[in-house]
Amino acid sequence: MKRQYIYLLILAALTIPLFLPLGLKHQVTDEVEKFYQTIEDLPPGSTVMVSFDFEASTIAETKPLAQAVLRHLFSRRISVVSLSMLAEGTGLGHSFLKEVADEFGRKYGADYVFLGFRPQYQATILGLGEDFAKVFPQDYLRNNLSDLSLTQKVRNYEGISLIISVADGDLPQYWVDYAQTRFQKPVAAAVTAVMATSYYPYLSSGQFSGLVGGLKGAAEYETLLGKAGLGSKGMEAQSLGHLMIIALIIIGNLAHLRTRKKI
Amino acid sequence: MDFSTTVAAILSLFIFSFLYRDNPFYKFAEHLLVGVSVGYFLVISIDNVLVPKIADRLLRQNDWSVIVPLLAGALILARLIPKWSRWSQLALAVVIGVGAGVAIPATLQAQILTQMKATMFSFIPPENSIGWLYILERIVILLGLTSVLAYFFFSKEHRGVFGTYARIGTYFLMIFFGATFGYTVMSRLSLLIGRIQFLLGDWLGFLN
Repeated sequence: MKRQYIYLLILAALTIPLFLPLGLKHQVTDEVEKFYQTIEDLPPGSTVMVSFDFEASTIAETKPLAQAVLRHLFSRRISVVSLSMLAEGTGLGHSFLKEVADEFGRKYGADYVFLGFRPQYQATILGLGEDFAKVFPQDYLRNNLSDLSLTQKVRNYEGISLIISVADGDLPQYWVDYAQTRFQKPVAAAVTAVMATSYYPYLSSGQFSGLVGGLKGAAEYETLLGKAGLGSKGMEAQSLGHLMIIALIIIGNLAHLRTRKKI
Repeated sequence: MDFSTTVAAILSLFIFSFLYRDNPFYKFAEHLLVGVSVGYFLVISIDNVLVPKIADRLLRQNDWSVIVPLLAGALILARLIPKWSRWSQLALAVVIGVGAGVAIPATLQAQILTQMKATMFSFIPPENSIGWLYILERIVILLGLTSVLAYFFFSKEHRGVFGTYARIGTYFLMIFFGATFGYTVMSRLSLLIGRIQFLLGDWLGFLN
């Protein structure tokens, strides 16, 4: 079979459910439930640090993850201090944060702050533990941190109840290495599916307070929030795509066995 | 459908055209991506780092202490001039020395000691867990850890009982590779779904 036919079959499997929903339900896994419960257990008025550690190429996964987590935080009146460890995540992170904050009528400076980007994650993560203003004298919008009510109140990790890394790479590991080991801060991660297997040992060891992986994780999180979003919408297409790939693998192997017998 | 969405959609289609065969449209979009990414990184770095951390402190706050890291950073650029290149080693020595000093204790604690502690066999299940399932999980973790370590232990020949145990490690590795590959397929499909949603929904308006 020409590879172009395989592409067309996959395209059809992914497109049809977008027009004709199959009504599949998502079963919530323990790791996503744990992530959700960690946020549920935070008292209203707490502050959470959300780090957008991803690049534009993975937006299809990281956007649903970031939106689901931010919706949960803002719905519980939890303040958010946010930043990005990757340059490309800066503009995206700010737009996601603003979009969800506006949805819940949250005010910039009082309910959420976006610090911006700094290179050198080691120095940044350690520096934030000492004083936010030393690492970010001004936020992304060029406001002095001393002029914003949230960063007047929360000046370093002491005021942070949880650190969440929305990532497509190995940044969550560095949050564990430096923010957790040095400052004993709980860390949770919402990562792309391709990274999820690397992080299960952190969940098992208790270094992560929760793990949400890929579009499936985002869909599970949306189920817990009771509001369908980008994750749920994409999961039906994902499920049919998986079935198509499994079918193609079986057909390919059967065809291979048949040709081998002939030889 | 606004202009920027149309530009993004057309560029996505240019990239997808590679699925048929390599062509000038794909090449154009690929080169544009590289150029825009570098440009964006440069602008963000100047705007978020060089301006607030150096220019503002030097020019607005008259904080001359930033001259020291600025000169140290500039020394790295000395590599570009062969005659002065050895001076860059001074700055690199600081970067490597400080970096290693910061990273080694943190990594040792987080990646080795805590992970080792988590694999220690404990018969006491935590609250709200099914006792026998918890113990089974611990056995699997311990077996997986030790057998994979045995597989990567090359100072002893993989024969007899040790060889069999090391082979068990390869099965654990295969399961890990399979799971990782499965997640990778899932991740790549998600990216494609995202693009389809963008093209059919945001661009053409066919999806709700």
